[in-house]
Amino acid sequence: MVISVSHLKKYYRIHKKEPGVIGSITSLISRTYENVRAVDDISFSIDEGELVGFIGPNGAGKTTTLKCLSGLLYPTSGKVSVLGYTPFERKHEYLKKISLVMGQKNQLWWDLPAIETFLLNKEIYEIADDQYKKTLNELVDLLEVESLLKVQVRKLSLGERMKMELIAALIHAPQVLFLDEPTIGLDVVMQKKMRDFIKEYNTRHASTILLTSHYMEDVRQLARRVIIIDHGKLLYDGKLDNLVKRYAKHKVLSIVLETYVSPDKLSEVGELVEYDFPHAVIRVDRGASNMAASQILQKFPVDDLNIEEPDIEDIIRDVFTKKNA
Amino acid sequence: MKKYFQIIKGTWAEYMVYRLSFVLWRVRIVMQLLVTYFLWWAIFSQHETLFGYTQSMMLTYILLSAVVRPFVMGTRTQEVGMMINDGSLSNYLTRPINLFRLFWSRDIADKSLNIIFAIGEIAILILLLKPSIILQANITVLLFTFLALVIGVVLFFYFSMLLSLLGFWTSEIWGPRFLSFILVEFFGGMLFPLDILPESLFRVSTLLPFSYFIYFPLKVYLGQLSVISMISGLGVGLVWALGLKLLTELLWRRGLMVYSSEGK
Repeated sequence: MVISVSHLKKYYRIHKKEPGVIGSITSLISRTYENVRAVDDISFSIDEGELVGFIGPNGAGKTTTLKCLSGLLYPTSGKVSVLGYTPFERKHEYLKKISLVMGQKNQLWWDLPAIETFLLNKEIYEIADDQYKKTLNELVDLLEVESLLKVQVRKLSLGERMKMELIAALIHAPQVLFLDEPTIGLDVVMQKKMRDFIKEYNTRHASTILLTSHYMEDVRQLARRVIIIDHGKLLYDGKLDNLVKRYAKHKVLSIVLETYVSPDKLSEVGELVEYDFPHAVIRVDRGASNMAASQILQKFPVDDLNIEEPDIEDIIRDVFTKKNA
Repeated sequence: MKKYFQIIKGTWAEYMVYRLSFVLWRVRIVMQLLVTYFLWWAIFSQHETLFGYTQSMMLTYILLSAVVRPFVMGTRTQEVGMMINDGSLSNYLTRPINLFRLFWSRDIADKSLNIIFAIGEIAILILLLKPSIILQANITVLLFTFLALVIGVVLFFYFSMLLSLLGFWTSEIWGPRFLSFILVEFFGGMLFPLDILPESLFRVSTLLPFSYFIYFPLKVYLGQLSVISMISGLGVGLVWALGLKLLTELLWRRGLMVYSSEGK
């Protein structure tokens, strides 16, 4: 077991201020504080080589959890252990084995070419010359950034900079990797490249990866296991497939018709979600999907029919709204 | 150790990117120096000695303060406060590097570059203005001067770091720092030697840590202090330095427990 989190809590105390000058003055005299439960009693464990997707809406506590795991935050209570270390002690041996990549944060030396930061990290992580060259070449090849190494970081595009951030974060070949929104702000082509890279990295180095993302595609492509949290509480921990089976009460029949059928008739089979002749989408109860399919094939002139799982994003939205309701 | 050398090199490289800013910064310092210099030059044109100083002693004090200043007070530690507040401190906390040593390295880069320029500037000014400068030849005095400078450097580092670490508890870190600029300028002896102040004010100033930034090392250099007062001065400075070091390290440990890695 590489990561073990047990009853982790992280509360913040924030003070509230009424808007305007009057509010500022009042807040000088009497401050009202409020406890924010960013992470509220979360437990889970992750084995070596696992790639786990961490999902939840904004402010769910994903980043706070990652920050506790990487030693940035002092937990209010609970026990966190990664590779046998207590992260908050931030022992150098520990920090050499992990890496935290945040999509909206940069460790690169802004005014200098990225290669300067790589060299600095080589010294910081005390990497041997040949090891450094090998890892750097591998990463540069994978991410195709050879020609950009000597360009001032400030002159790079967002996507290029993200790639450089990744290299800087991986140059010491960490065993455990925390990726917070690694694809944020990237275009679809770059997103895919980043995903391929993460997948490749995970298999090649057997490293343990915990990843958060707003893009379901990231999670679907990369993680077999997901942990869902909201309002600091853990809602689901398990395989992505099981999540679908457990929460998706429906299946979706996607039909291509040969000739026009009136929407009323289609509605008799199930809930007609979308109809744009010749294409129709019907939602039916999970258990009744086969029955419904054969009914459709018998009754209507069908060119093509598919039984599909509902969109994963819909399922997760269901999970969140149910919890909040 | 190599990592800290790499930081020094990187910091120099950063200065090279902002060459013009650096040069203008130096121009500003020279102009500031000239104002103080000519003020004292004018005052001494009427008098042989004033407040126990001859003209050459006073002008030596003013000119040398321009070299002592970057040596003691050249620092990048104000960045720590901003890093705490904008969350970029996290970039360093997740890497195996000691933040205090990191900033000692950055300060060494800053100090060395500024001292080189300061020495060049002073050399040119001496050639142009031809003041009578006091060159200290007494080895003991020079040794004490060196020790006083080291204490000044250590004291200032922890003092400035302390102001930055307030960032863990408040985002208003610039207020205290601006206030400190004034205190340091006055009680540090940047504009004049502190012993020309009224007796009571002078007494207070020697008890404050600021006097070790400029006044004390230069006073030692000028050879105006007895061995006893040099030793006792070093002793008080050492106590201040150790006290501030311990306090800063305590605040660092406490601060990390409330650090919220905000912003990003």
